[in-house]
Amino acid sequence: MKRPTIRFPLLFIVAGAVFLLLGSIYGLAFAPAEEHMGEVQRIMYVHVPTAWTAMLVLTWAFVCAAAFLFTGNWRWDNRLEATIQMSIVLCFLLCMQGSIWAKPTWGVWWDWDPRLTTMAVLLMAFSGVSALRHFVQDPLKRATWSAVSTVVGYVDVPIVYFSVKWWNSLHQQQSSVSTISRAFLIPLMVNFAGMLLLVIGIITIRTRIAAARLEEEVVPPTFLVQEAAA
Amino acid sequence: MSGVLSGGWDFVIAAYAVSAILLGGYCVHVIRAFRCGTAR
Repeated sequence: MKRPTIRFPLLFIVAGAVFLLLGSIYGLAFAPAEEHMGEVQRIMYVHVPTAWTAMLVLTWAFVCAAAFLFTGNWRWDNRLEATIQMSIVLCFLLCMQGSIWAKPTWGVWWDWDPRLTTMAVLLMAFSGVSALRHFVQDPLKRATWSAVSTVVGYVDVPIVYFSVKWWNSLHQQQSSVSTISRAFLIPLMVNFAGMLLLVIGIITIRTRIAAARLEEEVVPPTFLVQEAAA
Repeated sequence: MSGVLSGGWDFVIAAYAVSAILLGGYCVHVIRAFRCGTAR
């Protein structure tokens, strides 16, 4: 069997790292301080791209889950496994960055405001889906149950997005790209491109790991095949 | 109080450091897991 390589996803990861480095250098050294938030606003150049990427990855998880339930194709389950894990990393990172930003601006590390609470629920929901995948041994049950729970968990994503509009939240509402100054927009978009490339590379490699594990689980050992043939 | 935040570089550095450690660490973990898996 041909041994799989990761040259192509590694290129994405390297390109993503370069974009993130350039965007961060620009955001830290060249972008001006914001009028009210001062230097602390520079956290937005990593926090906002993380949030956008997390929302895209979570949506991709929903697509993978729905596609598996409709088609029964195992490729979608492999993609789902990779995407769930990446979603957890991004949601956790989002909470950490938000917390570091909240301390100097709100005076607290954490507040049970609608945006933060719904985000924490999302993190818990996807951690639960990941735990479910670890506990269930049967591949078909594991794939079906995790796909269903991903679809259920995804219900929280639009609630997270609209929470700042629906309720009186400490968290500010989303800014539109057209209202952001060009000096702030450059590091934001460069970091978003970098994070997207990095995440695509990681998910691709993680999908191949999931595929290899599934193959080991589903394909019977060689000696059993030989016995059956004899 | 002026309503304008002063300082805060330590928080900025902390946010960037946490992001680099978490994303970089997970990236290395996934690549190593792939290499260990295909080396078997």
